[in-house]
Amino acid sequence: MQAFMEFLFKYRLLLFQEGDFAFESPWPTMVVLGVVAALAVPAILTYGAARGDTQPLDRMVMAGLRLGVVGVLVFILFQPILVLTSVVPQRNFVGILIDDSQSMRITGNDGLPRSAFIESTFGSEGSELMSALAEKFSLRFFRFSRETSRLGDVSELEYVGTATELGEAMVRVQEELTGVPLSGLIVLSDGADNSGEPLAESLLPLQAANIPVYTVGLGDEVLSPDVQVSRVEIPRTVLVGTSLVVDVIVSHRGYAGRTVPLIVEDGGQVIATEDVALGEDGEPVVARVRLEVAESGPRLLSFRVPVQDGEPVEQNNAREVLIDVADESEKILYFEGEPRWELKFVRRAVADDENLQVVVLQRTAAGKFLRLEVDDAEELAAGFPKTREELFKYRGLVLGSVEASFFTHDQLNMIVDFVSQRGGGLLLLGGRNSFAQGGYEGTSLAEAMPVFLDDERNTEAGTYFDELLVSPTRTGLTHPATQLGRDDSEGIRELWESLPAVTTLNPITRIKPGATSLLTGGTDQDRSRQIVLAYHRYGRGKVIALPVQDTWIWQMHADIALEDQTHETFWRQLLRWLIDGVPDPVGAQSESEVVEPGQVVNLTVEVGDSAYLEVNDGSVVATVLGPAGDSITVPLDWAVDEDGRYDGTFTTTQAGLYEVSVQASRGADTLGTAITFMNAAPSVAEYFDASMRGTTLRRVAEETGGRFYTPETIADLPEDISLTGAGVTLTEERDLWDMPILLILLLGLMGAEWGYRRTRGLI
Amino acid sequence: MRALLFSVSAVALAFLTTAPGPWHEGSSEERVPNADARLEHAPFLGPVAASEALGLRGLSAAADGATAPTAAAQEARGVPREFYFTRAAYSGGGRGFRRRQGWSTDYPKADQIFLSFIDRLLSNLDAYEREHPIRLDDPEVRRFPYLYALEVGGMYLTQPEIDGLRDYLLAGGFLVIDDFWGSREWANFEYQIQLVLPGYEIVDLPLDHPIFTTFYEIDEIMQIPNVNQGVRGGPTHERDGYVPMVKGIHDENGRLMVVINWNTDLGDAWEWADDPYYPIKYSTYAYEMGVNMIVYAMSH
Repeated sequence: MQAFMEFLFKYRLLLFQEGDFAFESPWPTMVVLGVVAALAVPAILTYGAARGDTQPLDRMVMAGLRLGVVGVLVFILFQPILVLTSVVPQRNFVGILIDDSQSMRITGNDGLPRSAFIESTFGSEGSELMSALAEKFSLRFFRFSRETSRLGDVSELEYVGTATELGEAMVRVQEELTGVPLSGLIVLSDGADNSGEPLAESLLPLQAANIPVYTVGLGDEVLSPDVQVSRVEIPRTVLVGTSLVVDVIVSHRGYAGRTVPLIVEDGGQVIATEDVALGEDGEPVVARVRLEVAESGPRLLSFRVPVQDGEPVEQNNAREVLIDVADESEKILYFEGEPRWELKFVRRAVADDENLQVVVLQRTAAGKFLRLEVDDAEELAAGFPKTREELFKYRGLVLGSVEASFFTHDQLNMIVDFVSQRGGGLLLLGGRNSFAQGGYEGTSLAEAMPVFLDDERNTEAGTYFDELLVSPTRTGLTHPATQLGRDDSEGIRELWESLPAVTTLNPITRIKPGATSLLTGGTDQDRSRQIVLAYHRYGRGKVIALPVQDTWIWQMHADIALEDQTHETFWRQLLRWLIDGVPDPVGAQSESEVVEPGQVVNLTVEVGDSAYLEVNDGSVVATVLGPAGDSITVPLDWAVDEDGRYDGTFTTTQAGLYEVSVQASRGADTLGTAITFMNAAPSVAEYFDASMRGTTLRRVAEETGGRFYTPETIADLPEDISLTGAGVTLTEERDLWDMPILLILLLGLMGAEWGYRRTRGLI
Repeated sequence: MRALLFSVSAVALAFLTTAPGPWHEGSSEERVPNADARLEHAPFLGPVAASEALGLRGLSAAADGATAPTAAAQEARGVPREFYFTRAAYSGGGRGFRRRQGWSTDYPKADQIFLSFIDRLLSNLDAYEREHPIRLDDPEVRRFPYLYALEVGGMYLTQPEIDGLRDYLLAGGFLVIDDFWGSREWANFEYQIQLVLPGYEIVDLPLDHPIFTTFYEIDEIMQIPNVNQGVRGGPTHERDGYVPMVKGIHDENGRLMVVINWNTDLGDAWEWADDPYYPIKYSTYAYEMGVNMIVYAMSH
């Protein structure tokens, strides 16, 4: 089609788009139109006056056709031209950027790797395209993957780059070629940019300098067939023994309806398997795998789908994740305002959990307290903590049936700060002195609660009381705290609904906006009348409300078998979740926990004091222990633009596990320590989502004024650059008078007039 | 002559088998508490008026478990409370030629007085003020994690009671045993408890056990005599139970399930604490133990 158009109009569409239309005749347009009119008017009149055996219609048609012929002739005589700017040959440069990353090795549907095109076009001498380009421009070759550098000869390309940073590459090349007249950049790549940076920013300098980018997309836009483990959603640190439910996103093409196994390995040992039913082509599925990591320390987990038949890319079938399994005993303070069975059974439920230390402060009588599980005689000797330092030592705080008036105003604020500032977890239990019944309405703590306390039944005479059969909400079915150790939604719901009813003295039916409800309760017909478990994030921490007073029924009730562990599992998971993600005063993090050997790692450390206030005058030192046992010391500096943040870098030299221990101090006091891990391994990021990104490349071209090509359409590239490029240009005029279409039009009109006269019998 | 001797001995025999002896705890009617007496020397026990208000004269000494009020009747009272002083209404208790009252000894007066004092001592405990007996084979027993059983020397459990009590204890229930004396009664209790918890060892509880320190600091185990002997100032022991002991049974995880007060009568001391003739030191100890056991049971 295009070739036919090119034949008719003599030139390609691009020239008409880029060029301006003009007449070369020296006379101005008005004169031209005047002459045309002078010729046309008599012609019309003579036809109008002519007699003969003609109808008015005939005369009009023939007049029209004759005029058409005249028009075309006049058009031709006035020498129509197309004015173009084209680059001066050999005066301009063109930068050629060749993608040197691993994804270029992927074979396409034709069985050849993407790099084959590069070799055939630029490698061998005498490639047409290469000569056409070299004729007009001075070519400068560059290679890019994670870094960009000059390329001498195409044979130097190895395609081992582990990332594609397209935006960065274009900016670098443009910078390197400033000062010379640059017509444009040619990018040969599959476009699989995985730098994570938005491309729009990198295009700005090019747009500002008016440099068009001509992108050539290599590879297939659709990689098929292929199975890919796209993402693994897993927390970076967990407590040992926690039962995790991990979401793994698996996408595929070409295997619709197939069920594949997802295998989770820890250090080579299979710890879980899950069958994944693949969805429609291109549709990602979420597979939920239940894991329990039994060993502490840094663990490298691999999530893998075995290679299916016919898959050209195997490297994207597995993902490795590094998690830090902590084996610490986390302290939770449980403050109970009266002797209650709930306390006893909660303690029993988590007594075996070595990673939870539930410190109990129970008010047994007015002014008399019982302390349990304290570390020493001084802990909580004065009752409930009165200073932030004392309270912030705990990661979690559980308040039982304690009236608000027990606390001083400052203590209530302290509890709120415990959550918002320190990032701790607060769990509020139901009871006769909890929530509105305990006078919390209107206090600062009520602000932090995830539920509203204003129920009209609070003010009714007598005590509110209700029995609740519990049921999980949709979110509750997938939340670790309420999954009761199972991973099938139906089973979870069944289990919850089989539990005996619990009772509440606190009417709570509404959660605040932004809060999430995990369990609700009510009658058998309607189990959603009352909130049973709800939470929301507040500041840096979270507040959980459990407005029932006797979950111990789920342990003691006659219908519950002795071996049944539901109550234990619930409390264990609930308390672990309570303290999950609660920060330490000193926290260390690297940009990502998987780095490449030889890569520079950016380390960030957040430092707070014992009241969790950011410290800007501390001294922070990191000791990096490499896989070979070598250690280096990295001092970190305060990041001036953010309170409490310290940055530093170090370079990994070899593959393996790196342990970074950070110590923060201020003067002579140690503020705290932290440890983080990272795994240095060759990256396989290039093989993920490695289809040719036509959209990205097209966009780059369009936004810079360039054009997009594939190996099939690349033949036009040299001419296109001439016409649309920047740099040193000259104005060119191309004749249009000899367009075949004009000749055809002329002949056609004359023939039509003659034919008309023939058919009408006028000739 | 022989007929006279015979009839005299018959009468004597009849008298001995039916009349209450000095070691037998009489029914509550025999001792009238002097409600007007004040105990200035025992400030921690507080005023006595509360016990009057609860109607101490009411007695319904049912002889055996079969006629004990059921738990369902108790529940009909509206909002359930946190703590119920629950008496285990076990089978047995009446045997031989002495009319022993078994589980319902001193019931319900002792319960009520005890609870009235507890109300003062553990002021923020939400305790139900009245007596609360329950059968061991009633599945509702599981709702009341604190059980009190006394006079277990005459306890003879049926199979459903044995199973019920076992499940109760292993699930997390707490049982307090009180007021049984001497080796014969011990033997019977031991036999019964071994039916319930076979293979579980009964051990002495040392004085540094948390149960002696949860609320009050108790540094010696006292022998609490029954009210008759206590008032008379006579020997504190009954039968051959000379040495008071506090023993316990732990579950597999080392948690105390059963606390056994042997050769001592805490129940009487609870009941007669406001009697000016009953020595204050016994009441003090008994209430200290009573409070400690409740606090312990509700936190461990």
